[in-house]
Formats: sequence, C-alpha cells, structure tokens
Amino acid sequence: MKNLFLKDMRYRRARVVLTALGIIVLISLILLLGGIMNGMRIQAQQYVKSTGADIWISAEGSGGAFIGFSLLDEESMAGLSSFKGLVTDSASPIIFAQARPNINGKPTKAMVVGYTLGELGGPKQVVEGRMFTPRTYDDYRPEDDIPYEVVVDEKMGLEIGEIINISKEQVRIVGKAKSLMFVLDTPLLFMDLRSAQRVVLENTPHINMMIATTLHKQLQEQLDANIGTIQTTEQTAYNINNLQTAEEVAANLDVLNTIEARSLEQTLNDIMEYWVDEPMKAVQFLRVMLWIAAGLIVGMITYVTMLEKTQEIGVLKAIGASNNYVIMLLLKQVAVISIIGVFIGYCLAYIFAAAAPIFVKIHFVESIIVASISFVVCCGSGYLAARKAIKVDPMIAFRGEIDTAPIRYVDMQPVESAVTQD
Amino acid sequence: MATIIEGIGLTKRFGYGEAAVVAIDSVDIRIEEQELVMIMGDSGCGKTTLISLLGCILTPDAGELRIDGNEIEPTRQDLSLIRRDKIGFVFQMFHLLPYLTALENVMVAMHIAKMKTLEAESRALELLSRVGLSDRFHHRPAQLSGGEKQRVSFARALANQPNIIFADEPTANLDSRQSDNLMNLIQELRQEHQTTTVIVTHHEGIKENADRIIQMKDGRIVDA
Repeated sequence: MKNLFLKDMRYRRARVVLTALGIIVLISLILLLGGIMNGMRIQAQQYVKSTGADIWISAEGSGGAFIGFSLLDEESMAGLSSFKGLVTDSASPIIFAQARPNINGKPTKAMVVGYTLGELGGPKQVVEGRMFTPRTYDDYRPEDDIPYEVVVDEKMGLEIGEIINISKEQVRIVGKAKSLMFVLDTPLLFMDLRSAQRVVLENTPHINMMIATTLHKQLQEQLDANIGTIQTTEQTAYNINNLQTAEEVAANLDVLNTIEARSLEQTLNDIMEYWVDEPMKAVQFLRVMLWIAAGLIVGMITYVTMLEKTQEIGVLKAIGASNNYVIMLLLKQVAVISIIGVFIGYCLAYIFAAAAPIFVKIHFVESIIVASISFVVCCGSGYLAARKAIKVDPMIAFRGEIDTAPIRYVDMQPVESAVTQD
Repeated sequence: MATIIEGIGLTKRFGYGEAAVVAIDSVDIRIEEQELVMIMGDSGCGKTTLISLLGCILTPDAGELRIDGNEIEPTRQDLSLIRRDKIGFVFQMFHLLPYLTALENVMVAMHIAKMKTLEAESRALELLSRVGLSDRFHHRPAQLSGGEKQRVSFARALANQPNIIFADEPTANLDSRQSDNLMNLIQELRQEHQTTTVIVTHHEGIKENADRIIQMKDGRIVDA
C-alpha cells in the first residue's frame, strides 16, 4: 500500500501519458527554440573570434564591421601599420562578402572571405588539401583555365578538385578548413585577397574592412602563455597597464576621417544586435510567448487533472485521510508525471537538435532552468488544485462539486418557501 | 448508556439568497452508545444530509455537535482524526477507490491510520472473509456486484475499529435476501465490536432490526 499514487497512475495511464505528452512537447519546443538562438549566437561570433584580431575597421558611416556596406581603399590603409597601440604590421585587409556560389548547379548561400595568406583573417590550418596559392596583381594569368582557388568549409560536402561558380567566375577547391560557419549555418569560402577582389568586387582594389591586433592583447597573450613558467615582473605589469586597451585604440582610430573602428567586444556586440537579435525579434517574442503558454498549459493540465480527482479526495478524507496526506499523495503523482515529461522532453530536444538542419546548441544550464521551472509550475498548479479540492467537505466532493465558498454561519431565521433535500 | 452523538440546532443550507434550500432545519438529536438507530423518511427529507453532518463529512451552517463528548468545530479543527478513529462510513454509492482491489480498499483506511502493512493486510483479509468476500480479495470495484461493493464498503468502515458506524441506504442496491443477509451481518458485527450504528433507510422491511427509529420530514425530526 506504499505506492497508492503509483497504483492510481497505472489505473489512469492514458491520462498520465497525455499529461506527460503535453509537458514533453512544450519542454522540447522551448529548449529547441532556445538552442536555435544559442546556435546563431555562437556561429555569429565564431569567425570574428577565430581571427585573433581585436580591432575591426570599416568605412565611415557603415555602422561597423559586418553591419552596413563598407568599402575601403586598400592603399589608404597603409598608415595603420604603425598606428600607436597596434602591433606593427598586424593590420590586415579583409573582404567579407555575401555570395551565392553555384554548387552542382544549385545556388547556395555562403560568405566569401578574402585575406592575405600569412596575415590575419584566415583559418588556422586546412584539415584536408592545401591553402590557396597567394596571388599578386601581376601574376594573374587570364589564360589559365581556372585561375582562382578556394578553401571551403569541411561541412559543405564538397571535394578537393571540384569546381564551383562564384559570381561569374569558376573557382577550384584546393583545401578544406575546419568548420567555421557564420550565422544560420552560412559556410565561409576562404580566398586569396586578390582573387576575392576579382571575383566579388569586380576587380577593384578595394577591401571591406581592416583588422589588427593591439600590443595590449599581444602582451596579455604572452603573459597567459607563460603563466606558471615565469613570474610576472613588476615591469611587465607596468607595461601592460600602460598600454592602450582595444577600446582605447579603437576610440583613437575612430577620430580619423573615412573609417570607423571597433574593439573585438564592440564588434561582437554589433554582430549580435544586427545579425541575431534584430532579425530574431519575432522568434524571441515567440519564445517568450511559448514560455508563458507552456507555463499556462502545463499548469492547467495539472490543475484540471487534480480537480478531476475531487471525488476520490472526498473518499480519502471521509475515511480519515488528513489534508497533508491527500496533498502529498497528489503532489507525488504530479512530481512523477512532470519528471517523466521533463526528462523525455529534454532527451527529445537533444535528439532533434542533433538532427536539425541548422546548428542548434542547447546549453545545459538553460535546460536545467527550463526543467526546474516546468517542475515548479507543475507542482505549484497541482498544489493549488489539491488545496482547492481538500477544502471541500467530503460529502460535497462526492458530487464532484468544488465550489469552495467560505463556510458561513447564517442567522437562524427560517427561510420561507424553503425546499428541502437529501 | 452514555450519549455518544449529540447534535443541537443543527442546520444545513445549500445555496444562497432566493435559491437557498434548507436541508436540515434546527435539528436536535441524541444517540446513545451501542444503539442501532434508523433514520427514516420520504425521499428528500434530509436523511443523508443529517447523517453526513453527524459523520463529520459535511459542515453545518449552524448548531453544535458533540461526538464521544468532544465538541466538533469544523472550521477550527482537523476532523481527519475523528473520521479515522471514531467513525466508519458506508456510503449509498459505496465510494470505493476504482484503482484498488477489494483488499487494498480496506487496507487503505488502515494505511491512513499508519498501521503496518502486514498487520493491515491480515486484518483486511479477516474483515473481507467475515463479510463473505474471501473469493474476491483481488477484484477491483468494477469487477464486483453492488452487494459485494457494499460489503467491501462495510469492511472498510470497520477497518479502524470505530465507535460509530454510519450507513447511508445500505440496502438500496440489494434484493430482499441480500438485505436480510446484510442486516444480519450488521447485527453480528455490532455485537462483536460494540459499535453504535446509525442507518439511513427508507426500506420498511429492515426497521425491526432498529433499537430506535427517527422519522424525518422537511429537514426536521418529527418522531424520535
């Protein structure tokens, strides 16, 4: 007799399954929607972080790198190489342009990244094949059948030696890079800067942005790498404290006409706002609505399920069960149903995330929070329903009535035309 | 004999305002220990409401109630202990828990009273055998006839050895032979356990079993 609540659940398994199913669907939907947002955030930051640069420069009025249209004259950027606070010669030109490469006759979304081999902006290494051959303006040979080379994302499913079309040009795949996607699984195609200028910028000597590393970051990285092997001297500490931070260097650069400069952190914030938060406002709204709906639905399911048990609560009370006994009995049921629902919903969300056609990242902490809130909502609504049901006299509960108007001692004046009943 | 149940000015209304229905109207009632009292009257006269008030499963709107010398204050005290230890209720519609077997339905009352499982099982088996259901221990209510459910309900009411048994229309779903058997059983159990028994019935054929008959009409006692 210890598992009275389990016997009841087994007897009413159809209702238990339906209740759990409601919780499962809502939990997995909430986690998946959150996972999609997380995936977009991670991908939006991946490339920017991978470059190692902490200064991002775009054309004035562009709103920052990756935001508005930015076209810079490459030659006029030469002075950046010796700008105060930057690592000498670290300033690197970048082309970052949307493209619709034709792959196997089918237009596909992608981002062309043009950079100079050996400078900032490219992948750390190729996982297959080789890097593209660096080009100069002089060694471009129009007589070559396919003069452009590209390193593609390993997840694109393309093979080395394959030829794809970008704009009006044919490009040969020479290597594969470790996956670095941009927002919504947009793959990156790495090309030599000159080749990219020819392919996506109509052969003009322009670039989209410049990126660079500050001395502050360089020294900090050296310190981080040497922690444990050398002691940080007072002189080193003095040096790093006297170097301009990326924000300060960006502010100094921003004074210059024709450019806008941002630190890494500012650039990441810009990307988040422009590429994720703004376009995903509707999804965010939907997510909030889903949270509210999920809370209400799960709460209502549990609440109604408990109220349906009013007659049984009446029976238990009539044979001597205390209010606490009844509440604990009901709460155990709610707890078991919600744990089952939350657990299966949690597992399903992970399975769907793995099978989703886009990158979905479900954070463990977030899923624990969702699970905890769902559990609390289930138990809370179950408790409220149980509290309501136990307030009813057993005799009234037998009729399935739960009108819990407060008991009132009325005056004893006889009611005229009163009708009596059993 | 001592008075075990005493109700003074008991009143129960259902609904409010013009729709108010007075089910029990200032009823005074006194029942002595080990008495077998039958409450009789026309349908709708307030019999079930009165027995529910006396059995502490319905809260009166006015009046005083004493059980075994203790004043009952439904709005201020937890009545579960009184229902558990002093009262056994047999309902007209049986009110067995559908997900439990006959044995478990009897055991659950003892489980609530914190009796050990083995002890409860042994007593439940004994009680069910006593009411003639030794071949129905593991049947669920849906697999039992009306008479069998009534007997399980009786066994459950006796589970915690209460001082008072309330039975609401116990013979309503039984034929005359089953009614006679049930009344014999009630008399035997009453002798064995020295319980006070209050039965609501409109079945004239069983009234010779009563020590006293209380007649009700329009929510009032007209003859005690």
